[in-house]
Amino acid sequence: MIKDTNAFIRRLAQDVRPVRPLLHPWIRTAVWLALAIPSVAVVAFLIALRRGLPPIALDSRFVIEQSAALATGVTAAAAAFVSVVPGYRRKFLLLTGLPIAAWLGSMGQGCLQDWIQFGTDGLRLRPDWVCLPMIALMGAVPAFAMALMLRRGAPLTPRVTMAFGGLAAAGLGNFGLRFVHVQDASVMVLVWQCGAVFALSAVAAWAGPRLLNWPSVVDSTRSRAALG
Amino acid sequence: MSQRQLTDRRLAELMRAAQAGDAAAYAELLEDVALRLRRIVRRRRRFLGAEDIEDLVQDVLLSLHAIRATYDPERPFIPWLLAITRNRLADGARRYARHAAHEVPVEHLPVTFSDEGANTSVEIFVEIDALKEAIEALPPGQRTAVELLKLREMSLKEAAATSGTSIGALKVAVHRGIRALRRMLRKV
Repeated sequence: MIKDTNAFIRRLAQDVRPVRPLLHPWIRTAVWLALAIPSVAVVAFLIALRRGLPPIALDSRFVIEQSAALATGVTAAAAAFVSVVPGYRRKFLLLTGLPIAAWLGSMGQGCLQDWIQFGTDGLRLRPDWVCLPMIALMGAVPAFAMALMLRRGAPLTPRVTMAFGGLAAAGLGNFGLRFVHVQDASVMVLVWQCGAVFALSAVAAWAGPRLLNWPSVVDSTRSRAALG
Repeated sequence: MSQRQLTDRRLAELMRAAQAGDAAAYAELLEDVALRLRRIVRRRRRFLGAEDIEDLVQDVLLSLHAIRATYDPERPFIPWLLAITRNRLADGARRYARHAAHEVPVEHLPVTFSDEGANTSVEIFVEIDALKEAIEALPPGQRTAVELLKLREMSLKEAAATSGTSIGALKVAVHRGIRALRRMLRKV
Protein backbone atom coordinates (compact mmCIF):
# COMPACT_ATOMS: atom_id res chain seq x y z
CA MET A 1 0.00 0.00 0.00
CA ILE A 2 0.99 3.65 -0.46
CA LYS A 3 1.81 5.42 2.79
CA ASP A 4 -0.11 8.59 2.03
CA THR A 5 -3.84 7.92 1.71
CA ASN A 6 -4.38 11.17 -0.21
CA ALA A 7 -1.90 10.02 -2.86
CA PHE A 8 -3.68 6.65 -2.88
CA ILE A 9 -6.99 8.42 -3.49
CA ARG A 10 -5.48 10.43 -6.36
CA ARG A 11 -4.30 7.19 -7.99
CA LEU A 12 -7.75 5.65 -7.66
CA ALA A 13 -9.38 8.79 -9.08
CA GLN A 14 -6.98 8.69 -12.05
CA ASP A 15 -7.96 5.07 -12.63
CA VAL A 16 -11.69 5.81 -12.66
CA ARG A 17 -13.48 4.87 -15.87
CA PRO A 18 -17.17 4.85 -16.62
CA VAL A 19 -18.86 1.70 -15.33
CA ARG A 20 -22.35 0.46 -15.97
CA PRO A 21 -24.11 -0.20 -12.66
CA LEU A 22 -25.25 -3.78 -12.18
CA LEU A 23 -28.85 -4.35 -13.13
CA HIS A 24 -31.42 -5.01 -10.43
CA PRO A 25 -31.13 -8.59 -9.07
CA TRP A 26 -34.53 -9.59 -10.49
CA ILE A 27 -33.54 -8.30 -13.94
CA ARG A 28 -30.25 -10.20 -13.68
CA THR A 29 -32.30 -13.27 -12.73
CA ALA A 30 -34.41 -12.81 -15.86
CA VAL A 31 -31.26 -12.47 -17.99
CA TRP A 32 -29.84 -15.63 -16.42
CA LEU A 33 -33.08 -17.52 -17.02
CA ALA A 34 -33.07 -16.37 -20.63
CA LEU A 35 -29.69 -18.12 -20.99
CA ALA A 36 -30.32 -21.06 -18.70
CA ILE A 37 -33.77 -22.27 -19.79
CA PRO A 38 -32.88 -22.73 -23.49
CA SER A 39 -29.69 -24.57 -22.54
CA VAL A 40 -31.63 -26.94 -20.23
CA ALA A 41 -34.21 -27.43 -22.98
CA VAL A 42 -31.50 -28.28 -25.52
CA VAL A 43 -29.87 -30.85 -23.21
CA ALA A 44 -33.29 -32.35 -22.36
CA PHE A 45 -34.08 -32.55 -26.08
CA LEU A 46 -30.77 -34.31 -26.80
CA ILE A 47 -31.36 -36.79 -23.97
CA ALA A 48 -34.91 -37.42 -25.25
CA LEU A 49 -33.55 -38.00 -28.76
CA ARG A 50 -31.09 -40.56 -27.44
CA ARG A 51 -33.29 -42.34 -24.87
CA GLY A 52 -36.76 -41.60 -26.18
CA LEU A 53 -39.38 -39.50 -24.43
CA PRO A 54 -40.77 -41.33 -21.38
CA PRO A 55 -44.50 -41.27 -20.55
CA ILE A 56 -45.09 -38.39 -18.16
CA ALA A 57 -48.18 -38.28 -15.99
CA LEU A 58 -49.09 -34.61 -16.12
CA ASP A 59 -51.14 -34.85 -12.94
CA SER A 60 -51.51 -32.18 -10.29
CA ARG A 61 -48.70 -33.63 -8.18
CA PHE A 62 -46.25 -33.43 -11.09
CA VAL A 63 -47.34 -29.86 -11.85
CA ILE A 64 -47.01 -28.76 -8.21
CA GLU A 65 -43.60 -30.43 -7.81
CA GLN A 66 -42.29 -28.96 -11.03
CA SER A 67 -43.66 -25.47 -10.23
CA ALA A 68 -42.03 -25.60 -6.78
CA ALA A 69 -38.73 -26.84 -8.27
CA LEU A 70 -38.76 -24.06 -10.85
CA ALA A 71 -39.66 -21.46 -8.21
CA THR A 72 -36.79 -22.76 -6.06
CA GLY A 73 -34.38 -22.26 -8.96
CA VAL A 74 -35.68 -18.78 -9.74
CA THR A 75 -35.70 -17.49 -6.16
CA ALA A 76 -32.31 -19.08 -5.46
CA ALA A 77 -30.90 -17.27 -8.50
CA ALA A 78 -32.37 -13.95 -7.30
CA ALA A 79 -30.96 -14.60 -3.81
CA ALA A 80 -27.51 -15.29 -5.28
CA PHE A 81 -27.60 -12.01 -7.24
CA VAL A 82 -28.83 -10.10 -4.19
CA SER A 83 -26.04 -11.52 -2.06
CA VAL A 84 -23.33 -9.89 -4.21
CA VAL A 85 -24.78 -6.39 -3.81
CA PRO A 86 -23.58 -4.60 -0.65
CA GLY A 87 -26.31 -3.06 1.46
CA TYR A 88 -29.19 -5.26 0.35
CA ARG A 89 -31.37 -6.78 3.04
CA ARG A 90 -30.17 -10.28 3.78
CA LYS A 91 -33.74 -11.26 4.72
CA PHE A 92 -34.33 -11.51 0.98
CA LEU A 93 -32.36 -14.75 1.04
CA LEU A 94 -35.08 -16.35 3.17
CA LEU A 95 -37.49 -16.01 0.26
CA THR A 96 -36.07 -19.21 -1.25
CA GLY A 97 -37.26 -21.07 1.84
CA LEU A 98 -40.89 -20.87 0.67
CA PRO A 99 -40.56 -22.75 -2.64
CA ILE A 100 -38.10 -25.20 -1.04
CA ALA A 101 -40.69 -25.93 1.66
CA ALA A 102 -43.39 -26.32 -1.01
CA TRP A 103 -41.12 -28.57 -3.08
CA LEU A 104 -40.13 -30.83 -0.19
CA GLY A 105 -43.69 -30.73 1.16
CA SER A 106 -45.20 -31.87 -2.14
CA MET A 107 -42.72 -34.72 -2.39
CA GLY A 108 -43.33 -35.62 1.24
CA GLN A 109 -47.04 -35.74 0.53
CA GLY A 110 -46.34 -37.95 -2.49
CA CYS A 111 -44.35 -40.33 -0.29
CA LEU A 112 -47.24 -40.46 2.17
CA GLN A 113 -49.74 -41.22 -0.60
CA ASP A 114 -47.46 -43.95 -1.99
CA TRP A 115 -47.17 -45.46 1.48
CA ILE A 116 -50.95 -45.42 1.98
CA GLN A 117 -51.53 -46.92 -1.46
CA PHE A 118 -48.72 -49.48 -1.69
CA GLY A 119 -47.51 -49.89 1.89
CA THR A 120 -43.75 -50.23 2.42
CA ASP A 121 -43.33 -51.14 -1.27
CA GLY A 122 -44.23 -47.53 -2.08
CA LEU A 123 -41.23 -46.31 -0.07
CA ARG A 124 -38.72 -48.82 -1.40
CA LEU A 125 -35.53 -47.12 -2.49
CA ARG A 126 -33.55 -48.42 -5.44
CA PRO A 127 -30.20 -47.15 -6.67
CA ASP A 128 -30.49 -44.51 -9.38
CA TRP A 129 -27.04 -42.98 -9.72
CA VAL A 130 -27.82 -41.48 -13.10
CA CYS A 131 -29.69 -38.53 -11.52
CA LEU A 132 -26.63 -36.72 -10.17
CA PRO A 133 -24.60 -36.62 -13.43
CA MET A 134 -27.70 -35.82 -15.47
CA ILE A 135 -28.65 -32.89 -13.26
CA ALA A 136 -25.03 -31.74 -13.34
CA LEU A 137 -25.05 -31.99 -17.13
CA MET A 138 -28.30 -30.07 -17.45
CA GLY A 139 -27.20 -27.46 -14.93
CA ALA A 140 -23.68 -27.04 -16.33
CA VAL A 141 -24.34 -24.12 -18.68
CA PRO A 142 -26.64 -22.35 -16.17
CA ALA A 143 -24.00 -22.86 -13.47
CA PHE A 144 -21.24 -21.46 -15.67
CA ALA A 145 -23.36 -18.44 -16.62
CA MET A 146 -24.28 -17.93 -12.97
CA ALA A 147 -20.63 -18.02 -11.85
CA LEU A 148 -19.65 -15.49 -14.52
CA MET A 149 -22.47 -13.15 -13.54
CA LEU A 150 -21.75 -13.46 -9.83
CA ARG A 151 -18.10 -12.56 -10.37
CA ARG A 152 -19.23 -9.08 -11.41
CA GLY A 153 -20.53 -8.54 -7.88
CA ALA A 154 -18.97 -8.18 -4.46
CA PRO A 155 -17.70 -11.40 -2.82
CA LEU A 156 -19.37 -10.60 0.51
CA THR A 157 -20.46 -14.14 1.41
CA PRO A 158 -18.90 -16.49 -1.17
CA ARG A 159 -20.20 -19.74 0.33
CA VAL A 160 -23.76 -18.48 0.70
CA THR A 161 -23.71 -16.87 -2.74
CA MET A 162 -22.42 -19.98 -4.47
CA ALA A 163 -24.76 -22.25 -2.48
CA PHE A 164 -27.70 -20.25 -3.85
CA GLY A 165 -26.13 -20.10 -7.31
CA GLY A 166 -25.59 -23.88 -7.27
CA LEU A 167 -29.12 -24.46 -6.00
CA ALA A 168 -30.48 -22.32 -8.83
CA ALA A 169 -28.53 -24.14 -11.53
CA ALA A 170 -29.13 -27.62 -10.13
CA GLY A 171 -32.79 -26.81 -9.42
CA LEU A 172 -33.28 -25.81 -13.02
CA GLY A 173 -31.36 -28.90 -14.16
CA ASN A 174 -33.67 -31.06 -12.06
CA PHE A 175 -36.69 -29.28 -13.53
CA GLY A 176 -35.52 -30.28 -17.01
CA LEU A 177 -34.59 -33.80 -15.94
CA ARG A 178 -38.12 -34.59 -14.73
CA PHE A 179 -39.33 -34.34 -18.35
CA VAL A 180 -36.91 -36.95 -19.64
CA HIS A 181 -36.24 -39.17 -16.65
CA VAL A 182 -39.30 -40.52 -14.88
CA GLN A 183 -39.33 -41.91 -11.37
CA ASP A 184 -42.20 -44.18 -10.35
CA ALA A 185 -42.18 -43.24 -6.65
CA SER A 186 -41.96 -39.91 -4.83
CA VAL A 187 -39.33 -41.25 -2.46
CA MET A 188 -37.05 -41.86 -5.47
CA VAL A 189 -37.53 -38.26 -6.61
CA LEU A 190 -36.96 -37.01 -3.07
CA VAL A 191 -33.77 -38.96 -2.47
CA TRP A 192 -32.10 -39.13 -5.87
CA GLN A 193 -33.21 -35.98 -7.66
CA CYS A 194 -33.76 -33.60 -4.77
CA GLY A 195 -30.73 -35.09 -2.99
CA ALA A 196 -28.61 -34.51 -6.09
CA VAL A 197 -29.75 -30.85 -6.23
CA PHE A 198 -28.73 -30.20 -2.63
CA ALA A 199 -25.48 -32.16 -3.03
CA LEU A 200 -24.54 -30.02 -6.04
CA SER A 201 -25.48 -26.90 -4.10
CA ALA A 202 -23.17 -28.02 -1.28
CA VAL A 203 -20.33 -28.58 -3.76
CA ALA A 204 -20.90 -25.08 -5.13
CA ALA A 205 -20.81 -23.67 -1.58
CA TRP A 206 -17.51 -25.46 -0.98
CA ALA A 207 -16.08 -23.97 -4.18
CA GLY A 208 -17.44 -20.51 -3.31
CA PRO A 209 -14.33 -18.94 -1.77
CA ARG A 210 -12.20 -20.24 -4.65
CA LEU A 211 -14.41 -18.60 -7.26
CA LEU A 212 -15.45 -15.46 -5.41
CA ASN A 213 -12.88 -13.74 -3.23
CA TRP A 214 -11.57 -10.27 -2.58
CA PRO A 215 -7.99 -10.83 -3.80
CA SER A 216 -9.22 -11.76 -7.28
CA VAL A 217 -11.48 -8.68 -7.28
CA VAL A 218 -8.95 -6.10 -6.07
CA ASP A 219 -5.64 -7.45 -7.40
CA SER A 220 -6.26 -6.49 -11.01
CA THR A 221 -7.37 -3.01 -9.89
CA ARG A 222 -4.30 -2.71 -7.69
CA SER A 223 -1.88 -3.57 -10.47
CA ARG A 224 -3.71 -1.45 -13.07
CA ALA A 225 -3.62 1.61 -10.81
CA ALA A 226 -0.02 0.76 -9.72
CA LEU A 227 -1.00 0.81 -6.07
CA GLY A 228 1.81 -1.37 -4.76
CA MET B 1 -34.76 15.91 5.66
CA SER B 2 -32.19 14.82 8.28
CA GLN B 3 -28.48 15.61 8.10
CA ARG B 4 -27.74 11.94 7.45
CA GLN B 5 -30.13 11.86 4.51
CA LEU B 6 -28.60 15.04 3.08
CA THR B 7 -25.11 13.57 3.41
CA ASP B 8 -26.25 10.34 1.83
CA ARG B 9 -27.82 12.21 -1.07
CA ARG B 10 -24.62 14.22 -1.64
CA LEU B 11 -22.43 11.11 -1.55
CA ALA B 12 -24.84 9.24 -3.81
CA GLU B 13 -24.65 12.07 -6.36
CA LEU B 14 -20.84 11.97 -6.25
CA MET B 15 -20.94 8.20 -6.71
CA ARG B 16 -23.27 8.46 -9.68
CA ALA B 17 -20.85 10.97 -11.23
CA ALA B 18 -17.94 8.62 -10.45
CA GLN B 19 -19.74 5.74 -12.16
CA ALA B 20 -20.03 7.99 -15.20
CA GLY B 21 -16.24 8.50 -15.11
CA ASP B 22 -15.97 11.91 -13.37
CA ALA B 23 -12.53 11.78 -11.70
CA ALA B 24 -12.95 15.04 -9.72
CA ALA B 25 -16.24 13.92 -8.19
CA TYR B 26 -14.69 10.55 -7.43
CA ALA B 27 -11.70 12.12 -5.65
CA GLU B 28 -14.08 14.27 -3.59
CA LEU B 29 -16.16 11.22 -2.71
CA LEU B 30 -13.14 9.14 -1.71
CA GLU B 31 -11.75 11.93 0.48
CA ASP B 32 -15.06 12.18 2.31
CA VAL B 33 -15.35 8.41 2.57
CA ALA B 34 -11.76 8.09 3.84
CA LEU B 35 -12.56 10.42 6.75
CA ARG B 36 -15.60 8.34 7.67
CA LEU B 37 -13.69 5.08 7.31
CA ARG B 38 -10.89 6.33 9.52
CA ARG B 39 -13.43 7.09 12.26
CA ILE B 40 -15.08 3.68 11.89
CA VAL B 41 -11.80 1.76 11.90
CA ARG B 42 -10.51 3.73 14.91
CA ARG B 43 -13.71 2.95 16.81
CA ARG B 44 -13.73 -0.75 15.92
CA ARG B 45 -9.99 -1.41 16.17
CA ARG B 46 -8.99 0.76 19.10
CA PHE B 47 -5.68 -1.02 19.57
CA LEU B 48 -4.39 -0.24 16.06
CA GLY B 49 -1.66 2.24 15.32
CA ALA B 50 -2.10 5.07 12.78
CA GLU B 51 -0.30 3.16 10.02
CA ASP B 52 -2.44 0.05 10.44
CA ILE B 53 -5.58 2.20 10.38
CA GLU B 54 -4.47 3.78 7.10
CA ASP B 55 -3.81 0.31 5.66
CA LEU B 56 -7.35 -0.78 6.49
CA VAL B 57 -8.82 2.48 5.14
CA GLN B 58 -6.93 1.98 1.87
CA ASP B 59 -8.04 -1.64 1.73
CA VAL B 60 -11.69 -0.60 1.94
CA LEU B 61 -11.18 2.22 -0.59
CA LEU B 62 -9.59 -0.21 -3.04
CA SER B 63 -12.48 -2.66 -2.58
CA LEU B 64 -15.00 0.13 -3.10
CA HIS B 65 -13.16 1.13 -6.26
CA ALA B 66 -13.07 -2.43 -7.61
CA ILE B 67 -16.79 -3.07 -7.10
CA ARG B 68 -18.18 0.41 -7.74
CA ALA B 69 -20.45 -1.06 -10.42
CA THR B 70 -22.43 -2.81 -7.66
CA TYR B 71 -23.70 0.53 -6.36
CA ASP B 72 -27.30 0.97 -7.45
CA PRO B 73 -27.83 4.71 -8.14
CA GLU B 74 -31.44 4.39 -6.99
CA ARG B 75 -30.44 3.22 -3.51
CA PRO B 76 -28.82 4.98 -0.53
CA PHE B 77 -25.03 5.19 -0.57
CA ILE B 78 -24.12 4.87 3.11
CA PRO B 79 -25.59 1.35 3.70
CA TRP B 80 -23.67 0.21 0.60
CA LEU B 81 -20.44 1.69 1.96
CA LEU B 82 -20.99 0.28 5.46
CA ALA B 83 -21.68 -3.21 4.10
CA ILE B 84 -18.35 -3.17 2.24
CA THR B 85 -16.54 -1.77 5.28
CA ARG B 86 -17.94 -4.38 7.67
CA ASN B 87 -17.12 -7.16 5.23
CA ARG B 88 -13.55 -6.00 4.61
CA LEU B 89 -12.83 -5.55 8.32
CA ALA B 90 -14.19 -9.02 9.08
CA ASP B 91 -12.28 -10.45 6.11
CA GLY B 92 -9.06 -8.87 7.40
CA ALA B 93 -9.62 -10.45 10.82
CA ARG B 94 -10.29 -13.86 9.26
CA ARG B 95 -7.21 -13.55 7.06
CA TYR B 96 -5.11 -12.78 10.10
CA ALA B 97 -6.61 -15.73 12.00
CA ARG B 98 -5.68 -18.12 9.17
CA HIS B 99 -2.23 -16.62 8.99
CA ALA B 100 -1.70 -16.94 12.74
CA ALA B 101 -2.93 -20.56 12.71
CA HIS B 102 -0.10 -21.48 10.34
CA GLU B 103 2.60 -19.61 12.26
CA VAL B 104 5.15 -21.80 14.02
CA PRO B 105 6.66 -19.77 16.83
CA VAL B 106 10.28 -20.64 17.52
CA GLU B 107 12.53 -19.33 20.27
CA HIS B 108 15.84 -19.68 18.45
CA LEU B 109 16.01 -19.54 14.68
CA PRO B 110 18.82 -21.64 13.28
CA VAL B 111 21.53 -19.82 11.38
CA THR B 112 20.85 -20.34 7.69
CA PHE B 113 22.96 -17.83 5.81
CA SER B 114 25.80 -15.67 6.95
CA ASP B 115 24.05 -12.43 6.07
CA GLU B 116 22.66 -10.50 8.99
CA GLY B 117 19.07 -10.27 7.78
CA ALA B 118 18.71 -14.04 7.75
CA ASN B 119 19.77 -14.38 11.36
CA THR B 120 17.40 -12.19 13.28
CA SER B 121 15.81 -13.76 16.35
CA VAL B 122 12.80 -11.45 16.22
CA GLU B 123 9.52 -12.85 14.96
CA ILE B 124 7.92 -10.40 12.60
CA PHE B 125 4.16 -10.08 12.80
CA VAL B 126 2.75 -8.54 9.67
CA GLU B 127 -0.46 -7.71 11.53
CA ILE B 128 0.19 -6.73 15.07
CA ASP B 129 -3.42 -6.20 16.16
CA ALA B 130 -3.89 -9.65 17.62
CA LEU B 131 -0.47 -9.61 19.27
CA LYS B 132 -1.21 -6.28 20.95
CA GLU B 133 -4.58 -7.54 22.10
CA ALA B 134 -3.07 -10.76 23.41
CA ILE B 135 -0.38 -8.87 25.36
CA GLU B 136 -3.03 -6.64 26.88
CA ALA B 137 -4.96 -9.72 27.97
CA LEU B 138 -2.00 -11.16 29.94
CA PRO B 139 -1.98 -10.97 33.74
CA PRO B 140 -0.10 -7.81 34.93
CA GLY B 141 3.09 -9.62 36.04
CA GLN B 142 3.45 -11.53 32.78
CA ARG B 143 2.58 -8.49 30.70
CA THR B 144 5.26 -6.38 32.42
CA ALA B 145 7.83 -9.14 31.97
CA VAL B 146 7.01 -9.53 28.25
CA GLU B 147 7.02 -5.77 27.65
CA LEU B 148 10.36 -5.20 29.42
CA LEU B 149 12.25 -8.24 28.20
CA LYS B 150 10.78 -8.88 24.75
CA LEU B 151 9.48 -5.55 23.50
CA ARG B 152 11.94 -3.14 25.10
CA GLU B 153 14.68 -5.78 24.96
CA MET B 154 16.02 -5.03 28.41
CA SER B 155 18.45 -7.35 30.14
CA LEU B 156 17.12 -9.39 33.06
CA LYS B 157 19.03 -7.15 35.45
CA GLU B 158 17.60 -3.94 33.97
CA ALA B 159 14.08 -5.37 33.86
CA ALA B 160 14.34 -6.54 37.48
CA ALA B 161 15.46 -3.06 38.53
CA THR B 162 12.65 -1.38 36.56
CA SER B 163 9.86 -3.71 37.69
CA GLY B 164 11.07 -4.19 41.24
CA THR B 165 10.84 -7.98 40.99
CA SER B 166 13.52 -10.64 41.24
CA ILE B 167 15.28 -12.03 38.19
CA GLY B 168 13.91 -15.49 38.96
CA ALA B 169 10.32 -14.21 39.10
CA LEU B 170 10.86 -12.35 35.81
CA LYS B 171 12.17 -15.49 34.11
CA VAL B 172 9.12 -17.46 35.22
CA ALA B 173 6.73 -14.63 34.25
CA VAL B 174 8.18 -14.14 30.78
CA HIS B 175 8.19 -17.89 30.13
CA ARG B 176 4.54 -18.18 31.15
CA GLY B 177 3.66 -15.00 29.27
CA ILE B 178 5.15 -16.22 26.00
CA ARG B 179 3.42 -19.57 26.40
CA ALA B 180 0.08 -17.83 27.01
CA LEU B 181 0.61 -15.58 23.97
CA ARG B 182 1.26 -18.58 21.73
CA ARG B 183 -1.89 -20.21 23.01
CA MET B 184 -3.96 -17.07 22.45
CA LEU B 185 -2.55 -16.39 18.99
CA ARG B 186 -3.20 -19.95 17.89
CA LYS B 187 -6.84 -19.52 18.90
CA VAL B 188 -7.25 -16.23 16.98
